[in-house]
Amino acid sequence: MKGRWAGRALLGVPTVFLLALFVLPLLSMVVLSFWRTENYHIVQDWNLGNYITLATGGAYVTFLIRSLVMAGVVSLVCILIAWPVSYAIILYGGRYRLLLTLAFAVPFLTGEVLRVIALQGLLGPVGLINAVLMALGSAPLRFIMYTNVASAIGLVYLYLPIVVTVIYLSLLNFDARLIDAAKIFGASPLRAFVEVTWPLNLFGTLIGFVLCFIPCLSATLVPRFLGGANGTLYGMAMAQQFGESGTWALGAAMGVVLFLTSIIAVLLVGMRVDLRRTGFTGFGRG
Amino acid sequence: MKPHEPISAGVSQDTPDSTPRAGLSVGRRTVLKTIAAGAVASLAAPYIRPASAAPTQLRALMWEGYLLPDVIAAFEEKHGVTFSPTFFDGNSEAYNKLRVGGTKDFDLVQADGFWPSLYFREKLIRTVDYAKIPATQHLFPVFKPAEFKLLTDATTGSDFGVPFCWGSYGTTYNADVVPAEKAASIELLFDPAYAGRLSTSARFEENIALAGILVATRMGTIDKPRPNGKPFNPYDLTDEELAGVEKLLIEQKPLLLTRYQDNATLAQLLESGAIVAAPEFAQTYRLLLAKKAKGEIDTTFAHTLVPKEGGLGWVDTWLVSSGVPDGATLDVCQSFIDTMITPETMKKVALASGCSTTIDIRALSTPEEQALYLMDRTGELSKMYMFDQPSSTEKWERVWSRMQAA
Repeated sequence: MKGRWAGRALLGVPTVFLLALFVLPLLSMVVLSFWRTENYHIVQDWNLGNYITLATGGAYVTFLIRSLVMAGVVSLVCILIAWPVSYAIILYGGRYRLLLTLAFAVPFLTGEVLRVIALQGLLGPVGLINAVLMALGSAPLRFIMYTNVASAIGLVYLYLPIVVTVIYLSLLNFDARLIDAAKIFGASPLRAFVEVTWPLNLFGTLIGFVLCFIPCLSATLVPRFLGGANGTLYGMAMAQQFGESGTWALGAAMGVVLFLTSIIAVLLVGMRVDLRRTGFTGFGRG
Repeated sequence: MKPHEPISAGVSQDTPDSTPRAGLSVGRRTVLKTIAAGAVASLAAPYIRPASAAPTQLRALMWEGYLLPDVIAAFEEKHGVTFSPTFFDGNSEAYNKLRVGGTKDFDLVQADGFWPSLYFREKLIRTVDYAKIPATQHLFPVFKPAEFKLLTDATTGSDFGVPFCWGSYGTTYNADVVPAEKAASIELLFDPAYAGRLSTSARFEENIALAGILVATRMGTIDKPRPNGKPFNPYDLTDEELAGVEKLLIEQKPLLLTRYQDNATLAQLLESGAIVAAPEFAQTYRLLLAKKAKGEIDTTFAHTLVPKEGGLGWVDTWLVSSGVPDGATLDVCQSFIDTMITPETMKKVALASGCSTTIDIRALSTPEEQALYLMDRTGELSKMYMFDQPSSTEKWERVWSRMQAA
């Protein structure tokens, strides 16, 4: 009896939390997306106008495509960097493994705004990189000054620690004796990696990918401070609707589209993976 | 309850067979109720105050640049209140905050241009009494209610705001690179000769309005009768003019290094030579001039207050939220405004924020400061188009988004 109540309480608290802070705001966003605004006033007039504007306006589709490409590229780059880093920590970190992984989280001790502004100082025309180049008599690197490349660098900088941590945790739980077994049976180190290490850590890698991809898709600060005149991404355009332009209903519709896009992206990634082969045990052994 | 009525719990004292115990007995529920009521009352007491009671907190929705910690601290000590500021960037952001219940959350509000009159029409702010704000006597004549009509209700003649700082959205430029005659026109900001060395702010309203003045000048519609029968207002553009603005802003994109987000970034970009011109509120210009005077930089910077086609201007004001009732809270609000606009405080505000003041502080300023802070150029305000609400935020948002996506 006591156990049943404890179970209910333990499940109930997060359920209430999710309902109050996730489901209800999301529902209110959906409702708002079917209304309209008129000069900073919300008009409760049910219509599909916002979705029609998003579909036919062109600009918003461009923002979404830009963001999808940006999020995809940044997530891939993060995975490419995070894998060797995490692998090296596991192999050579010794008793400092945890410390080395935690070191990646140090930037999180400061706020996101501060980190982005610091990066603006680093990449900008008077930043450290270009200042050194100019002092050496070289031309400044214009492609890192207020461009989409600068935004991509900023996003990699922001989300790499998350991906490293996730892949590190995946590798930490991976039984390295399987590699030895593969080698004993004649597999080369590369083949052992491709056929044993990689697939058995694919689920962790995908989690890292998704945890990077989703926030990149809605990134606001990075494109605003680093992206320049051609760097407007979907999240930044969406934030604009809730800020100075006051077109909240259109912003809500953009939010709904972003939510659905994120879910579709996650499903697309998930559907291409045989979770059982990745060592994910949530579905049982089958 | 009648006065002196004895409190009995459950049994009347008149009852003949009532025992002393019964007369004094207090039920468990009563005790619990009393404790609960007491706890609720003690918890709620700080928040339940009669409207006439002196406030303990003064909440302001304001621009961060105008916060003077020493002045605020002295005011808090004198009036026994805590000053709680909330900062905003653009007028539309503050307007949104006020509209969604902000009148109950803020006592003092700041706005500029035509925004205070919009606030007043929508009952977001209330009237103020200039007699309770004696420092208003130091306002430059052009900002006194007799001449400055933007803060007076035409119907009742009541004042609903107090002017604070003023300025234009002029062009700061590197005078070593850009000739003065080029800088005298808005065309400078769209000149391919300076490709990659220009910047504008990220504010969508002012970008569109400034481009609107140029487009209307080019189209010849700026002096022609308007569809609404009113004089030209860059915040109320026709569809043809908006189409022209969109085209112009798209053409401008490759010429911009970036759209700056804050004055510190703009100052860095100008100082380093990365850009040679940008529209701004002259705050960065004054900062750079001060650096030049100290010998920290060699570049000469100049500022065009009003371009020849016409420019945008603003007068920042102090307003009192409609959530403030008559009485002690209103008195404290007006006293705060009075403190903020005394000549001594305004001098500090000018130096800290780099803004021109609506209060005459010439007696406290050097001739250089008088020139730098445009103290003898307040008359030029009449040539500027005041910051205003876009005629259709939806249309303007589409223009801005299409430009960003192009």
